[in-house]
Amino acid sequence: MELQPVYIQILALILFALGIAVTLSRRNVFFVLMGIELALNAVNLSLVGFAKTLPAMTSITGQIIPLFTIGVAAAEACVGLAVVILIFRSQDSVDIDTYSNMKG
Amino acid sequence: MIPLWLIPLFPLVGTLILAVISISSSTSKKGANEGLVGGIAVLFPALAFLMVLLLSFGLPDAGYRETLCTWFDIQAIRADFGFLFDGLSRTMLLFVTGIGTLITLYSTGYMHGDRGFARFFAYINLFLFSMIMLVLSDSLPLTFLGWEGVGLCSYLLIGFWNSDLKNCKAANKAFIVNRVGDLGFLLGMLALVSVGGISLLSYPELAAWLVNPAMGEQLMAGMPLLTLAGLLFFFGCTGKSAQIPLLTWLPDAMAGPTPVSALIHAATMVTSGVYLLARLSSLYAILPEVLMVITFVGLATAFWAAITGLLQNDIKKVLAYSTISQLGYMFMAVGVVAFDVSIFHVFTHAFFKAALFLGAGAVIHALSGEQDMRKMGGMLKKTPLTALVMIFGWLAIIGFPGFAGFWSKDMILEKLYVSDPVSGPILYGLALLTAVITAVYMTRLMILTFLGKYRGDASAECHIHEAPASMLIPMLILSVGSAFAGFLWAGLIPGAEIFREWLAPVLSTAQTMALGGVHEGAPVSPWIFAGLGTAAALIGIAIAWKLYSGNVPAPKDDTVPKGKAADWTFFFDKFHNICGIQETRLVAWFLDVVVNRFIMLLQWFVGAIAIILSDGVRTFQVRKIRLQMGFSILGMILVIVFVALYGGSL
Repeated sequence: MELQPVYIQILALILFALGIAVTLSRRNVFFVLMGIELALNAVNLSLVGFAKTLPAMTSITGQIIPLFTIGVAAAEACVGLAVVILIFRSQDSVDIDTYSNMKG
Repeated sequence: MIPLWLIPLFPLVGTLILAVISISSSTSKKGANEGLVGGIAVLFPALAFLMVLLLSFGLPDAGYRETLCTWFDIQAIRADFGFLFDGLSRTMLLFVTGIGTLITLYSTGYMHGDRGFARFFAYINLFLFSMIMLVLSDSLPLTFLGWEGVGLCSYLLIGFWNSDLKNCKAANKAFIVNRVGDLGFLLGMLALVSVGGISLLSYPELAAWLVNPAMGEQLMAGMPLLTLAGLLFFFGCTGKSAQIPLLTWLPDAMAGPTPVSALIHAATMVTSGVYLLARLSSLYAILPEVLMVITFVGLATAFWAAITGLLQNDIKKVLAYSTISQLGYMFMAVGVVAFDVSIFHVFTHAFFKAALFLGAGAVIHALSGEQDMRKMGGMLKKTPLTALVMIFGWLAIIGFPGFAGFWSKDMILEKLYVSDPVSGPILYGLALLTAVITAVYMTRLMILTFLGKYRGDASAECHIHEAPASMLIPMLILSVGSAFAGFLWAGLIPGAEIFREWLAPVLSTAQTMALGGVHEGAPVSPWIFAGLGTAAALIGIAIAWKLYSGNVPAPKDDTVPKGKAADWTFFFDKFHNICGIQETRLVAWFLDVVVNRFIMLLQWFVGAIAIILSDGVRTFQVRKIRLQMGFSILGMILVIVFVALYGGSL
């Protein structure tokens, strides 16, 4: 039985929903970052899945773009972790709810 | 021919130079060099006087008229910078610039050592500039510019010593009372324009329009408005020339330095009202009702001020009330269509009142600032030259035969007598009575100041000194003027009427038109009038001698009259208080309490709405990062749903 593209999309949707749910529900900043990564990769998976439905010559473009996205996401995760470390130094906490200087 | 705009230009340049000097020296401790400043301050008015003198010779009957440029030209209103130099403005300018120069020269001595020396002379030059503009302009709007200018400068100069709150209040009073009169001037212009269009604002065109037979019907139709215009202009003149009801500012204006008082009373400011009436003579000639009002106002003012002069203890206040009284005479003369006589009295009055004020200034200067006559006395021996000047001025103002005031005042009295067979003699009698009172209070001033023994502090006595030459020279020139200026139009001497001939080209048309059918020839010999006038002066002297020599009121702390005297003196202040100030206060209270509160309520309402709304919005902006993120995702979902439903093509 051949892999239907719709299953790939369903998987991507489940992964994306999990990512968002983790991002919103966890208070630990590392879990939030991981949730964001998961949602991002779910989108990559969705892109590859759609690319697979196209003819071979154009399908290759859709499979290459996620590679770039992964590269960019790595860089972004790098910066994000650095920021988290700096915030941790000043706040002495990984709890995202305490990360605020705003009044009100 | 010398261009006319040079005359006002000189004092204006003087003002600018002195203002620059004054500002640039404001940080230095000593102030600018007094010799330099004084030189500049006297030079420019003197140059203006020279220009006027040069222009005065060989003046054609029609005068010179030149238009410099368009001042402003908006829809419906157009005004030009135009100058008119004819018999009337020549006469006015001769003494405005001449006496103005003398007073400026005197001030260089009087203001010696004052920290605001340069500033003072900048103001004086601006004052003369404004007055020249007022007199020289050929249209009402430009006259109004000068009219406002003298009001501003009087404010600046009365409040010159502005560290004293009393002086500032006096300056404010002068300015505000004058503004009330200015309203009359403005509305008068408006009334004129509404009768016959914008061209009526120009003096020659107004005169031509009024006598143009083709305009007869339009003139008759516009008569009520013209009467209103006449009354309004007269109201404006009562403000500037201190007549009932707007006369309270002039006595208070004594707060300024004495040369300023001399300038306001003799050369500039108060004469402008009489000038305006003479300038509009062709208008007033056709308004007999307004002339009647003017006569009665003049008479009432002259009488009231003469009585008030009797009650004053401050030497400058006496002179102030005497000015009001003399202005009353001038208005009476205008009221009986003797415009030329009125201007003649302005002319002679300028000499003797300037002499009196400068003399009083020299006395005050000698006594180190003492103005209370009860603390003077015996100045005749200590300052003989000042006393001589004052005696000349005194003889002139009471109308002693031969002196300037005698000729002009007698002529006014005579005109009053012949003005009407019924009311004329009554007016004459009241004016003559006023002349007696004038003699009484002026003689009282002289007795208290110059005769008897010195009654002031012993410490001040050793400082008493004659004024310096820069003050004495103008005083002596003016005293000569107050002795002989009257001979320019000596009614009793045949042929001695140069002054009348000067004014005739401008004023005679209006005067003959107004007098029309009235019988002109005096039924009584002029010698009888002269004799009665002399008798009035002598009786006044005798009464004053009887009452005041050897009977000096005891000095008190201040010079303000008390009791009944205060009731009389401040009658018009109280009158203003009741019908004017209280009403204004009421309106102000209404605006403050009702309108202001209402606006505050609206303001508060708008503010409250904003606060309530923002409080609601603020609760979304809490410091929960995850909640914010949730909101942004929710927003994104909403956008997607929206796009999915409507396909992006709303």
